[in-house]
Amino acid sequence: MTTLVDRPADRPTEPSPPDGGRRRPGRGPRAGWKILVVGLLTAFALYFLLPVYWLVIAATKSTGDLFGTFGLWFADFRLVDNLTGVLTYDDGIYLRWMLNSVLYAGVGAAVATLLAAMAGYALAKYRFRGREAVFNVILAGVLIPGTALALPLFLTFSKIGLADTYWAVLLPSVVSPFGVYLCRMYAATTVPDELLESARIDGAGERRIFTALVLRIMSPALVTVFLFQFVGIWNNYFLPLVMLSDPKLYPITLGLTSWQSFADRQPELYQLTVGGAFLSVLPLMAAIVVLQRFWRGGLTEGSLKG
Amino acid sequence: MRTSRTDRRAAAGFLMPFVVLFAAFFVLPIGYAIYQSLLSVERAGPLGLGGSRTVFAGLSNYTEAFADSAFTDSILRVLLFAAVQVPAMIGLATLLALLLDAAAARAVPFFRSAYFLPYGVPGVIASILWGFLYVPGVSPIVDLLGSAGLDVDLLGSGSVLWAIANIVTWEFAGYNMLVVVAQLKSINSDLYAAAQIDGANAWQVVRYVKLPLIRPAIVLTTVFTIIGTLQLFAEPLVLRPVSTAINTSYTPNLAAYTEAFVNNNYSLAAAQSVILAVAACVLSFGFLRLVGRKGDDR
Amino acid sequence: MRQLRDLRRGRRVLLGAGLVLAVALAGCGSGSGKSGDPDAATGGRKPGEKIEMTFWSWVPGVDKAVALWNSKNPEVQVKLEKIPAGSSGGYAKMLAALKAGSGAPDLAQVEYQEIPGFLLEGNLVDLSKYGAKDDAGKFVDWQWQQGVFGDAVYAIPQASGPMGFFYRQDLFAKWGIQPPKTWTDFRQAAQTIRAKDPKAYISTFPPGNSAWFTALAWQAGAKWFGTEGDTWTVDINNAETRKVAEYWDGMVADKLVKTEPDFANGWYKDLQQGAVVGWVSAQWGDSILSGNAPKTAGKWRVAPMPQWEGAPFTSSNWGGSSTAVLKGAKYPKDAKDFAVWLNTDPESIALLIEGGYGWPAAKDALAGSTLDKPYDFFGGQKINDVFAEADKAIDKDWSWIPTTSAAYQHLNDGFQKAIAGQGTFVAAVEAAQAETEADLKAKGLKVKAGS
Repeated sequence: MTTLVDRPADRPTEPSPPDGGRRRPGRGPRAGWKILVVGLLTAFALYFLLPVYWLVIAATKSTGDLFGTFGLWFADFRLVDNLTGVLTYDDGIYLRWMLNSVLYAGVGAAVATLLAAMAGYALAKYRFRGREAVFNVILAGVLIPGTALALPLFLTFSKIGLADTYWAVLLPSVVSPFGVYLCRMYAATTVPDELLESARIDGAGERRIFTALVLRIMSPALVTVFLFQFVGIWNNYFLPLVMLSDPKLYPITLGLTSWQSFADRQPELYQLTVGGAFLSVLPLMAAIVVLQRFWRGGLTEGSLKG
Repeated sequence: MRTSRTDRRAAAGFLMPFVVLFAAFFVLPIGYAIYQSLLSVERAGPLGLGGSRTVFAGLSNYTEAFADSAFTDSILRVLLFAAVQVPAMIGLATLLALLLDAAAARAVPFFRSAYFLPYGVPGVIASILWGFLYVPGVSPIVDLLGSAGLDVDLLGSGSVLWAIANIVTWEFAGYNMLVVVAQLKSINSDLYAAAQIDGANAWQVVRYVKLPLIRPAIVLTTVFTIIGTLQLFAEPLVLRPVSTAINTSYTPNLAAYTEAFVNNNYSLAAAQSVILAVAACVLSFGFLRLVGRKGDDR
Repeated sequence: MRQLRDLRRGRRVLLGAGLVLAVALAGCGSGSGKSGDPDAATGGRKPGEKIEMTFWSWVPGVDKAVALWNSKNPEVQVKLEKIPAGSSGGYAKMLAALKAGSGAPDLAQVEYQEIPGFLLEGNLVDLSKYGAKDDAGKFVDWQWQQGVFGDAVYAIPQASGPMGFFYRQDLFAKWGIQPPKTWTDFRQAAQTIRAKDPKAYISTFPPGNSAWFTALAWQAGAKWFGTEGDTWTVDINNAETRKVAEYWDGMVADKLVKTEPDFANGWYKDLQQGAVVGWVSAQWGDSILSGNAPKTAGKWRVAPMPQWEGAPFTSSNWGGSSTAVLKGAKYPKDAKDFAVWLNTDPESIALLIEGGYGWPAAKDALAGSTLDKPYDFFGGQKINDVFAEADKAIDKDWSWIPTTSAAYQHLNDGFQKAIAGQGTFVAAVEAAQAETEADLKAKGLKVKAGS
């Protein structure tokens, strides 16, 4: 990929003042532009927020009202009843599903980040024969669709008896070739060789250098990799679908779709599915709103170069 | 003292955990899938119910996969889908990024959050939500259009593919937008000053400064989108019960899943998975080379 | 017929090692750690030993029956796990678990059309070794035969789905329509309904539910599948099926029926609002209607299924399932005993009927049971009288092939194409014939077209 112009090391990474002070000193944009731009922004915001709005409204309705009343406004408000139903149905299996998702995504992403950091650092800062070859093979891994792997993984895991266990979803999730790519790029541009040299001269071992110095420097990239992998695992449907049969091991995606598939025989599950979707989407959306600054920052710092 | 040998050992130490797991969960499955795709089953006993054994079958599963018109249709379908949805979504992401970066923009953090929000919604949940928004009789959209005199069937055969494209775009446009935004933020402000001195207006700044410099981001997002699009599975699966136009081999992944878990044809499913993986790699590499070559001409 | 065992010679060693590893890694289940066939006489359980078996099903009401068994059998406990309906992913789960070698239940709900497919992969336990033949007399004969292959018994029948015609009596009366006795009458009724209310339709033709279409072909006298010695026979595109396909081609072309999916939100809404006023369906459809269109309570009635002119009164069967013991079950005798109890014990049947599981396979289950009562949802009509007559008029000589679900998919694909404007239902039937023959050949089986 092409390299950028000089990295503007002195430019701040928070959003610039909206009046474009850095580009048009002294002159504000014309009113016509402002209306157009803000109008377009609002229109798109409506598009992106429409299903969320629908979900909020729908979570307050019973099954009968879901199908009987107009979708974009409230009917008989019963949010608390719904949510209670969601949390107590089937001995509270919903909470179990939530915890499973947190386990798979949290532990999976944490381990994946650590492994990717180690591998990226090694590829960036050590010279050895075959380094580029290894990196290219890992890159090729980025290009393989995860779903093409799920089926053979299932067959392999079945043979060794690990299918339908927590490991079945956790183990494949800790491998993130994209994470290695990001970490390598980041380490290459932000970890100065001089720092490593001086640490070595001071007598520090390689492992200590890594844990004490490198990890700290790489932390924006680590956050990016973690978030990317967390969301990826949380949203992953095909792998758990193929691997898991025991509902107690389901992540929330599998759990909610299973409710939906029962719903025609048990119509109350429609409202529970919608309520459950509402609950499940809240924490991640909140997290995204808060953390999208980190996300931005991490990517700015050089991952897109080279 | 630091030698190339200590270098190698340290590097190995850091690299090994990842490489071992990578080999186990990326390389091995592909190898196993290829192995499985070369096998077939032979039956014994009356009516074939007396037992079976697996035999080596060469490329017969591949010929069978390509001879199955439903499977080849599914490949063409996702290619069509990619050809339309990828540019549309990347275009939208770029447009959103440019809008947010414009001097005339207001309340940027709010809008940015709004656009990125759908990324936190898993594909199946998004499909359930949009499913409710598509089904006639339940959907407020269809209701509103109906009262305006427009009778639309969003889930019918002509439109369901684009209904799915809409879901995918809704989910990922914000994420891709952020990648472009990050690249935009790293453009050297001296360039803007230079452009202004040259008398460029806002539109020319976009065309000659911003767009060329966000090319790497666009390339990155396009490659990932291509890979993701070819894997389309969750959205058609969730919409299948409510649409009259989605069959069990609507996309290659759906076809492979059906072959494996409904028809018990694991070897055929493995062949289909390998075909899909090869197609994804070829397209991604092809795209990268295409873009890389054009980039060298500048 | 021989014992079914998976003879994958090349991988037996690996599989054996894998099994040992599986037991070690996944933890031992209840009972002994010995693998291999349980003792044929006792079915593996020692007297006095307490065991637990898993049972996967989607039938509503089965949880109550299981709870009843558990209260009466403290030593043989059954753990029920609800799974999606078979064709909506239930079978995929079972097959995945069976393939994985772990997580498969001891007992499972297997519809009649799936039994040969499960058998082909060696996934069912032959229950005749555990005394199942003695239970044959407790069940309606044709349903018992669905689980019998040669000398072996692979499934305990549970219920079937004799068919009739559900219709909105209040609207029919308002529009002056009689419940149709023949398919010609049905078409005329459809036309009248369209004329009286542009928003209403007599029913929908669900393009994704070829099992329903199969039942209609069954009624018309078609026999799609059979065996001839060593060979499977496939005759989907016979004259009777083409007749049915042509009929519905006409109905759809003249816009006399909707073409939306059934068992889906849009259809439920239409039922609730009177946009769909009839449904040719099986006995278990009553709970679908009452559960999903509760506001129309009291307005529906049941009439016999419309007939083809010139033929004696025939009904058909839609669905129907059994309780089967899956490969790897450690206690097949106890599993079989539970299955027989579930499907013959009067208290169990009463609970299942309450849940709406279908028409019991147990002989003489109707008399005096809770089926023999007036239904409020149907305005007090004793609907099961209609279905009892229907049950007597089903062609018992229908069987399935190991790739039935694939055949269903081919029909669905063809129907969807037709509705999208590319072809007809008759063409779909022709295409399905060729594709089904190919499916069986691909499985390594001998096939012949025609009956």
